[in-house]
Amino acid sequence: MRIAFTSAGTSWDAQIDPRFGRTAYLVLYNEETAQLEVYDNSAVQADAHGAGTATAQRIYELHPDVLITGNGPGDTAYKALKNLDMSIYVDAHNLSLQEAYNKFKNKELKAL
Amino acid sequence: MREIIVLSGKGGTGKTSVTAALGVLAAGRAVIADCDVDAANMHLLMQPEVHKEEAFFSGELAEIDPEACINCGKCEEVCHFDAIHQGAEQYEIQPLRCEGCGYCEVVCPTNAISLHARRSGDFFVSTARTGDPMAHARLDAGADNSGKLVAKVKEEARKLANGYQRNLILVDGAPGIGCPVVSSLAGASYVVLVTEPSASGLHDLKRLVEVLKKFRLQAGCIINKADINPDQASAIRDFCKQQDIAMLGEIPYDADFTAAMIQGKTIVETSEKLNQLMEAIIISIQHKINVL
Repeated sequence: MRIAFTSAGTSWDAQIDPRFGRTAYLVLYNEETAQLEVYDNSAVQADAHGAGTATAQRIYELHPDVLITGNGPGDTAYKALKNLDMSIYVDAHNLSLQEAYNKFKNKELKAL
Repeated sequence: MREIIVLSGKGGTGKTSVTAALGVLAAGRAVIADCDVDAANMHLLMQPEVHKEEAFFSGELAEIDPEACINCGKCEEVCHFDAIHQGAEQYEIQPLRCEGCGYCEVVCPTNAISLHARRSGDFFVSTARTGDPMAHARLDAGADNSGKLVAKVKEEARKLANGYQRNLILVDGAPGIGCPVVSSLAGASYVVLVTEPSASGLHDLKRLVEVLKKFRLQAGCIINKADINPDQASAIRDFCKQQDIAMLGEIPYDADFTAAMIQGKTIVETSEKLNQLMEAIIISIQHKINVL
């Protein structure tokens, strides 16, 4: 399974970024290979408009099985993400990636 | 760290006056962030001493290199925003009209036109007169706003809170429900709604609550000028009850509110009565999020 996080940093101890559209990084964990892949999202952060849909597009291209984020995507981005075969978990801000992943495994995260 | 975002939906309900009053009562414990960057006014009440000032760039602006321009007029023909006209010597771009779309750059036969990052405001890191750190910004007149500047103010406020070991960020948000409001909500712990008993006050409050529901945010409500229209005030109370929004307090119409503003002070500094009311409101918020 491949799990994507909106992240303020690039490692397991980074905090989940509460923002969806303007998240600093998208970090992808591949459970099969046990590898973290880091995608810099600063290009989207610098956009004046349309950050939510631009990040949704990137998620679409990465096509993870699960997305773990903070406050969650807004309406427009959510409409696009619904078309993906992907579960979305929210309210994981104030957690590190590691903590959020553990909570996800223990089914303690809130599904959107 | 907790973030309290003060919002109103409708403008002019007393949102900034309330935020500043909370800021004075929480002096020594908070970081203040003015995220109403279109019409920033928190600095009028907080009289901050600015330590760091930097230009904020957003979007793009076309520029003509006079050396390379051959005055063919193709740029004027294609501009959808009526931003390019023949000037005294050659074609000129009117910056307030230019949307930075880049069509002129594409059609220019001599590559005389290029797009540059547009300076659209200023960003500040300061100390408020309460002694608390403050992050704020000012968008230029007519400049294109976005959640981008608000995101920057909030990011700086978080850094300040970490640096100064404050566990509370007090955010003055923008009116409405658009991009700057949504951006100010990221990472929010609690939302304080300041409304007034008028048809538009309630209407705009309803729209805002719809947005808050989408992000599953908890909110409490303050009715300002609560006694000017008892029917509307009661409609607001009913709406809040139905939406599971706590009533944090009601502030009656008071000329002291305006008097405080004229002096550049907050309502808790000029009126004993309003001070007591705000203290009670702080206690209500405290019960909700256990921080102030």
